[in-house]
Amino acid sequence: MTTALLTAYVLVWPAIVAGVLLVIVRAFVRELRRARAEGRRII
Amino acid sequence: MGDIQQLAGPVAVLLLLLFFGGSLYMSIRISRKRENADGYMTGGGKIGFGISAASMTATWIWASSMYASATSGYTYGLSGPIHYGLWGALMILLIYPFGRRIRQVAPRAHTIAEVMFARHGRSSQLLLAGSNVLGSLISLTSNLIAGGALVAMLSPFSFTQGIVTIAAGVLLYTLWSGFRASVLTDFAQVLAMLGAVVVIVPTVFFAAGGPELFTTGAANLTPEQGSFFSSDAFFNQGAPYIAAVLAYAIGNQTIAQRLFAVREDLIKKTFVTATVGYGATVIGVGMLGVIALYAGLQPMGGDVNNLVPQMAATYLAPALICVFFVMIIGSLSSTADADMTALASITMADIYGQNIAGRKRANPRTMLLVGRLTMLGATTAALCFATMRFNILDLLVFVGAMWGALVFPVIASFYWDRVTNVAFSVAVLAALGAFLPVRFSWVDLGGGVGVVSDVLATIGIGVVLGLMAFGFFGFRAALGTGIVATLAAAPFAIGFLHQHPVLSGSLVAYAVSTIVCVALTFLNQDRRFDFALIKERTGDFDAHEETDPPTAAGPQDAVLAGTAEGSTR
Repeated sequence: MTTALLTAYVLVWPAIVAGVLLVIVRAFVRELRRARAEGRRII
Repeated sequence: MGDIQQLAGPVAVLLLLLFFGGSLYMSIRISRKRENADGYMTGGGKIGFGISAASMTATWIWASSMYASATSGYTYGLSGPIHYGLWGALMILLIYPFGRRIRQVAPRAHTIAEVMFARHGRSSQLLLAGSNVLGSLISLTSNLIAGGALVAMLSPFSFTQGIVTIAAGVLLYTLWSGFRASVLTDFAQVLAMLGAVVVIVPTVFFAAGGPELFTTGAANLTPEQGSFFSSDAFFNQGAPYIAAVLAYAIGNQTIAQRLFAVREDLIKKTFVTATVGYGATVIGVGMLGVIALYAGLQPMGGDVNNLVPQMAATYLAPALICVFFVMIIGSLSSTADADMTALASITMADIYGQNIAGRKRANPRTMLLVGRLTMLGATTAALCFATMRFNILDLLVFVGAMWGALVFPVIASFYWDRVTNVAFSVAVLAALGAFLPVRFSWVDLGGGVGVVSDVLATIGIGVVLGLMAFGFFGFRAALGTGIVATLAAAPFAIGFLHQHPVLSGSLVAYAVSTIVCVALTFLNQDRRFDFALIKERTGDFDAHEETDPPTAAGPQDAVLAGTAEGSTR
C-alpha cells in the first residue's frame, strides 16, 4: 500500500465531512431566508 | 488523570456555559408561551432539508460511536473504522425506503408504535413502545456516562459533577419546546461536531508524523490490521453490525421521530445526506484509532475508551482540545436531547394519547405536561443508572439484538394486508423466547440444540439480507436474495454460528419472528387490512392554530420567533 494512498484514505473523510457541512449550512441559510421572507418560524 | 493535558477548571466551566447557554438561547428564541403538542413531538411534520439533515446526522452521531469507531480502528487496523461507520451509516439509509412507506400510510403520526396501534391494536403497539423506551433510556444513560467520563478525564471535575451538569444542561434547553428545540440546536451542534472533525483529524494526523507514519509505524500492525479486507474485522465488527442495522433503524424512535418531522418530499435527500455525513464523520474519527495504532500509542490504563481523548490530549494544542471537548459534548447532547424527546413522544402519543385518554379525547395541554414530566423522570432515571456505571454498551448490544424480534413483523405490517395483531404479537414474543436462551447460553448449544440454533440463525441471515433487498428492489428480489443468502451461508454457518451467541441470538430472533409471523399470517384467509385506515386513525392532537405574536425585536428574531405554523386537525 503506497504512502500516498494511505494518506488519502485518512484525509478523505474530513474532506467529505466538509462537503456535507457545506450542503447543510447552505440549505439552512436558504430556509432561514425563505422563512424570513414569509414571516414565519423556521421551525 | 495520569499525565495527559487537562483543561483548567474555569476553561471547562466556560466551555460548558457557552455550549449549553448557546443551546438554551436558541431554544428560547423559538419557544412559545403555549407550546403545541404536535410540535413538541414532531415539529409539525414540515421541517426543511437543512435542519432535518443536520438533526438526523447529529442525533445518530453520539459519543460512543466516535469512541467505538476509533477503538475499531485501533483493534482491527485500516478496515476497522469502515466496519463500524459504514454499517452505522447504512442504518440511516436502510430506513429510507421503509420510511417513505411509513409516511405514505401515516403522514401525521408521531411514533411507529402509534402506527402499530392503528394497524393492529394495543399489544403490538405496547411491544414496540416498550422496546423503544428501553432503548432510549439506555442511550440517554450511555451519553451521560460518556459525558461524565470526558469531564473527569479532561477537566479537574469529577464524573458525578460531569453527568449532573450535562443532564441539567440538556434538560434545560429541551424541556420547554421539546422536539423543536432538539432539532434546532442539532443544527448548531452539527456545525460544532463536523467542523471539529474537519480540523482535528488532519491536525492529529500531521502532528503524529504525517505520511511518514505509514512507513515508520508499519511494523506496529499485524498483516490482518494492515489489510483493507481483514476477515477478522468483518467477522468481529462488521457482521454483527449488519445484523443490527435493520433492528436499530426500526427500533430506534429518534430516527422515526425525524422521519415524521421532515417534509415528505425531502425524506430521500435528508436521509442520503445524513448517511454520508454520519459515515464520513464516524469513519473520520475512527482514523484517530488507526493513527494511534501506527504511532504505537498504548491506551491509558489499557482502556481503549480512553483512546480518543488521549489522542486529543497528546497531539492537539490547548485551543484545539477545547474544540475537541465541544465536539464530544455536542455529539452526546444532540443524542441525549433526541432520546428525551423520543421518550416524551412515546408517553404522550402512545401511553397517554392512545391508551389513557384516547386520541379524540386527549388534551394537548395534558399531553405537554406528560411529555415534560417524562423528560424529568427519564433524566433522573438515567442519572441513577449512570451513577451505577452499568456496562451500557453490553446493554445496547442486548437491546439491538432484541429489536431483531420486531423488524420483520413491523415491516410486514406496512406492506402485507393479511398480517394480524395475533401474528405480530405472537411472532415477537416467540422470537424473544428463542432469542434469550441463545443470547445468554441458557441451554447447551453443543449438540442438537446447537444445530437447530444454527439452522435458524442461517435463515436469519437470509431474512436480514432479504429485508435489505426488499426496501430497495421489492418482493421478488428480496425472496431471491433471502433464499440465495441462506443456501450460500448454510455450509459455513451451520456448526459455527452458535459459537457467537450475540450474533446468533440476534439472527435467531429475526428467523423465528419471520417464520411465526408468516405462518400465522397465512392462517388468516379472509381478513384484509385497508391501509387507508391508518391515515384516519393517526393524526394531530392539537386542534387549534398557535398564534403567539413575535416576541423579539431584530430581523433574525422575527424569523425565529415569528408567527407560528401551528398544525391543525
